[in-house]
Amino acid sequence: MSLTIVRPEKLEIEGLVKTFPGSRRRPAVTAIDGIDLRVSAGELVCIVGASGCGKSTLLNVVGGLEPADAGRVEIDGEAVVGPGADRGMVFQGYSLFPWKTVAENIAFGLETARVPRAERRERVDELIAIMGLAAWADRIPRELSGGMRQRVAIARALAPRPDILLLDEPFGALDAQTKRVMRDFLLGVWRDIGTTILMVTHDVEEAVYLAGRVYVLTSHPGRVAAEVPVPLPADRGPAITRDPLFLDLRDHVQDILIDQVRV
Amino acid sequence: MPPLKDDTGTTTGAAPPGERRTVIQWRRTLGAQRRGTRGRRQHALLRVRDDIPAAWRIGLMAAGLATPILLWLLISSGSSGDLIVPSPAETWQGAMRLHDDGVLLGDFWASSRRILIGYTISMAIAIVLGLGMGTFRSVEAFLEPPTGFMRYIPATALVPLMLFWLGIDETPKITLIVLGSVFFNLLMVADVARAVPREIINASYTLGAGRLTVLRRVVLPHSLPGIIDVARINLAAAWSILVVAELLAAEEGLAFRIVRAQRFRQIDEMFAILIIFGIIGVVSDLALRALRRRAAPWARA
Ligand SMILES: Nc1ncnc2c1ncn2[C@@H]1O[C@H](COP(=O)(O)OP(=O)(O)OP(=O)(O)O)[C@@H](O)[C@H]1O
Ligand SMILES: [Mg+2]
Repeated sequence: MSLTIVRPEKLEIEGLVKTFPGSRRRPAVTAIDGIDLRVSAGELVCIVGASGCGKSTLLNVVGGLEPADAGRVEIDGEAVVGPGADRGMVFQGYSLFPWKTVAENIAFGLETARVPRAERRERVDELIAIMGLAAWADRIPRELSGGMRQRVAIARALAPRPDILLLDEPFGALDAQTKRVMRDFLLGVWRDIGTTILMVTHDVEEAVYLAGRVYVLTSHPGRVAAEVPVPLPADRGPAITRDPLFLDLRDHVQDILIDQVRV
Repeated sequence: MPPLKDDTGTTTGAAPPGERRTVIQWRRTLGAQRRGTRGRRQHALLRVRDDIPAAWRIGLMAAGLATPILLWLLISSGSSGDLIVPSPAETWQGAMRLHDDGVLLGDFWASSRRILIGYTISMAIAIVLGLGMGTFRSVEAFLEPPTGFMRYIPATALVPLMLFWLGIDETPKITLIVLGSVFFNLLMVADVARAVPREIINASYTLGAGRLTVLRRVVLPHSLPGIIDVARINLAAAWSILVVAELLAAEEGLAFRIVRAQRFRQIDEMFAILIIFGIIGVVSDLALRALRRRAAPWARA
């Protein structure tokens, strides 16, 4: 048994409700109906749930891009009222600035924070090296593959050194091989930088592979169906996918999820 | 076991005992298809949106240019009586006469200057208000009704009024160019700004950008190629309104020269000016396309 260290909560969500108003022809959609969720400092937590269960909505509320209808969302004990560079986000779709080069994309968050030019260059170069993008620094997004684009998006979100990184299915559009490379890559970044990560995915194996804890959401409206701790060692690699504990956990989460989808 | 298909397209498959099963008979309903091939062959020149061979492209463009010139030659050689159509050679002589009279460059410059000033003002207003309109619903709510209304008042109908109010010098002509194009430019720039993807704007917010930064550093650069397109498309409208203004009141200018030529029944000169209008249009179009390629190489047209 590892020693349980009491860590301060980085993110705390309590009783979160989010309803999209309807109109005369469309009924209102309750995307999230009471979610409680915590992420400790330095933790990597995954959220899995069926398509349309409100995962993106949840991240957008944490990111301050959508207001909550009820409930509490706090980062380090401070209420979220709008977007800010303290919560880095990587979006489900494609959100790089198409006219900026890789280096300029990554530098954007440093420019808005008025980081001096010399330091900016240093930090951008550092991230480019970490992300293995050195050969691509002066290319524009159109010239990159999907995996590279997501690496740029992650680097861009990390550049302002956010308190928490919010990832919305960052590897959803990638092929199976690239996905595996990317998840090891993300684990490496997480260990090296020691940042807090909340990641949404619909890939159960990916969630168990990456996370210290997995939240399974009910489908429509989203609630927490289960919270599954993943007591696997932190320095995981491809070999872990053959570990019986890993397989058990994966199947367990999968079963909960399938129960949610079958309504 | 999944149902198997035989050659004729009949679905067969052993149903498990005790289970009744509908077997769907289906026939190929594909019409024009040769035996021994699949799919329909498409002619190289008539594929939707596909590139055509370069030789064909250049050849077709040359033919597209030559056809009207040939038609022109044909018509002018047969023209007589009241319906005089000057030949290309005569038109060239007309242009030379205007040049030798020392008025052609002056007219060209007078008209171009009015367009340059008027259209720059128009685009400046359209960019500032249009980006605001496409970005903030409040600005949109405020500006949409008056622009929608003004857009439908033909600017040509304002010519007499403007001449009455502002006299016959440069001011009314430039004002008319602005009035005649700014509402179109404004609404189209607003549409361009509205097309900036939500996720890019959201990403900027989470990178610490405020609303003004988003407008200046995200909405504006993303809209730049679209704005240049808008400028290119509506430039023709600006010329139209200028011509009407010059026809009614001017001392110099290309359209003014057309009226003069009409008074002296110099049809070759009228033709020469029309051709010059066309050339100005093509050149400015090419220039704006080149500007778009240079300013926004990331957005291929
Ligand atoms: N802007 C909106 N207006 C109205 N309804 C919305 C809006 N955004 C999301 N919804 C609805 O809220 C629900 C949750 O959407 P959300 O995008 O959060 O799902 P998701 O879990 O991220 O799905 P996916 O896995 O497909 O990305 C859906 O039913 C969706 O239709
Ligand atoms: Mg989503």
